[in-house]
Amino acid sequence: MILPRVTLAAGLLAATAASAHETAGRHGGRVTDAGTFHVELVARGETVDVFLSDEGQRPIPAAGFKGTAILVVGGKPTRVPLEPADGNRLTGKAATALGAGPRGAVQLTGPDGGTASGTFH
Amino acid sequence: MSIRPAAALGAVALLAAVLAGPARAHEGHDHGAGQPPVSKTIAPRGEALTEAFELVAVPRDGILTLFLDRFRTNEPVTGATVEVETPEGPRTATATPEGGYALPAPWLSKPGRHAFTATVTAGEDVDILAVAVTVPGGKATASTDPTASSAASMQAVTSRVSTIARGIRERLGEKDPALFGAVAVAFLLGMLTTGLARGRRSVPAVALAAIGITLVLGTAAFAHGAEDHGAEHHGAPVQGAALAEPRPGAPAASDLAQRLPDGSVFVPKPTQRLLVLRTTVTEAGIFHRSVALPGRIIPDPNASGVVQSSVGGRLAPPPPGPFPRLGTRVRKGEVLATVTPPIQAVDASDMRQTQGDLDQQISIVERRVDRYKRLATTAAVPQSQLEDAVAELKGLQDRRAALDKIRQQPEPLVAPVDGVVAQAAAVAGQMASPGQMVFQVVDPNRLWVEALSFDALTPAQDATARLADGRTLKLAYQGSGLADRNQAIPVQFAVQGDASGLRVGQFVTVLAGTDTEQTGLALPRAAVVRAGNGQDVVYEHTSAERFEARPVRIEPLDGGRVLIAEGVGPGKRVVTQGAELLDQVR
Repeated sequence: MILPRVTLAAGLLAATAASAHETAGRHGGRVTDAGTFHVELVARGETVDVFLSDEGQRPIPAAGFKGTAILVVGGKPTRVPLEPADGNRLTGKAATALGAGPRGAVQLTGPDGGTASGTFH
Repeated sequence: MSIRPAAALGAVALLAAVLAGPARAHEGHDHGAGQPPVSKTIAPRGEALTEAFELVAVPRDGILTLFLDRFRTNEPVTGATVEVETPEGPRTATATPEGGYALPAPWLSKPGRHAFTATVTAGEDVDILAVAVTVPGGKATASTDPTASSAASMQAVTSRVSTIARGIRERLGEKDPALFGAVAVAFLLGMLTTGLARGRRSVPAVALAAIGITLVLGTAAFAHGAEDHGAEHHGAPVQGAALAEPRPGAPAASDLAQRLPDGSVFVPKPTQRLLVLRTTVTEAGIFHRSVALPGRIIPDPNASGVVQSSVGGRLAPPPPGPFPRLGTRVRKGEVLATVTPPIQAVDASDMRQTQGDLDQQISIVERRVDRYKRLATTAAVPQSQLEDAVAELKGLQDRRAALDKIRQQPEPLVAPVDGVVAQAAAVAGQMASPGQMVFQVVDPNRLWVEALSFDALTPAQDATARLADGRTLKLAYQGSGLADRNQAIPVQFAVQGDASGLRVGQFVTVLAGTDTEQTGLALPRAAVVRAGNGQDVVYEHTSAERFEARPVRIEPLDGGRVLIAEGVGPGKRVVTQGAELLDQVR
């Protein structure tokens, strides 16, 4: 009983350490760490979608979360408020088209008031 | 016999409880995921890095202070716009006189982990940084972050276990009476509990148990208080030894630079600014080994010249004005002085005699020419005879004129090049001997360095020259002689760039490259400091406020730089300015 748990914990620790870099996400966006979450950022046109998951890439329901995406568009920071949508998705609309792979950060406030933020380079 | 195991078990359980109590109360001081706690005297802080910036956030008394620096150079970024995403919406931080950015942040006083983003706009650079600050707050710490994952709790458990273990070690070392008291009381309590289980003398057993628990709790509370007290007293001398002044009692208004137990140096951002710490990112490269040669400044032979008199004579100022003074800028062809050759008595009588002869001949030939002119019209004298007479007269007149000129015309001394008068030996009325240097004209922007080398240098390698005041000059190789001078070969270099302030004849140390190639990292000489054990170390900027000493092996490179042959890899941030101050932090 103990050995599998230890293995699991060690695996999770290793996963946390290894996932410090951006990777490709399952929705075609970029994934980064935000506190204890994994956040996938998908920017298409003017729409910003953020998908929440835990370390094991299991989706976390977005209900109750609030968020803000700050993205650098054309050398200027653009603030995009995010609202929960279906499933583990938060969505928001920017005033201008965002272009491919904008730099920036996503800040999240959980239902309990805890905050997390992650950057995309 | 069954009493002893149970009593021992009780002792272990109670010991764990006693030691875990203080450990939990101190957990809040952990502020970074992978970093050991700096100290109890340091305010909680968060940091974030990007390719351009390094940001440190320190919440203190409801004010969030942000320190923004360049990532590569550690130069403070002033005049930037810093916008922080707070729970109340975006807020812009205002610049403080200390070079930071401040923002009222009452939301940060709540214990727990706060993550926020800061948008930095400094000129062309726009960056968004995610910062996390964990505010300690006694028992509330555990409940504020329910999103903590199993991994995080595993880390917390690991750290607590290590804290407890450390606590036990420390207490055993100190022969803490609380520890031994707790063990003894727990053993008694275990015996009592065993007795209670057997159902004999239950009332006194319960009473004894109550007394025992009271004693244990009292001891634990006493131990806790004593530990805090001790920490305060132990902390005070450390603060005093650090760079800022100690402030015993109330929590310090600013954090103090200190050397951490692991050998790294913690320097808060405000102190970093006081010490003007600057870093550079190391890059590996191939460098040529250099040799130091003694040299001195000489004028460029093509851009300097001397003014000498070709004849002996009396010096006089040039016609328009006085002699040019030292430092006067002169143009090529400008007359700097005149020399009037003196006429000796013998010469003068010779000249007078020649003059008389010439005058006599001229008058004879003039009369002859007149006569021939009249006769030539009647063809009594051939035309050719007249022409001969005219030519003879002209030749005589020329000789007479030249004689006059030699007697009156002084020799002008002209500047051979454009430049500045570097030496002037002219005094009005002085007799100059032939070949004597009257002026030296040097172009101050075109100077050379002549060095004596004991090995043949590579012509392709450029060199640097170090002056006595520490200035360095870039040199371009010009050539080297084949003939030995003082058992060495003279090598000439041209000074490149700004040559102002140099003077001809000044001694310099020339550092010239040789053929030997070395690979390594070039760092400024000031980056390397000598540690207490005599080892050369450089300080690596490992995180925003931490510096770690790295022992290195250095080799000489050139005037301003040394070569790090081993000890630090490429792509590291190394302190290039203020390293010796950093080395003094205790």
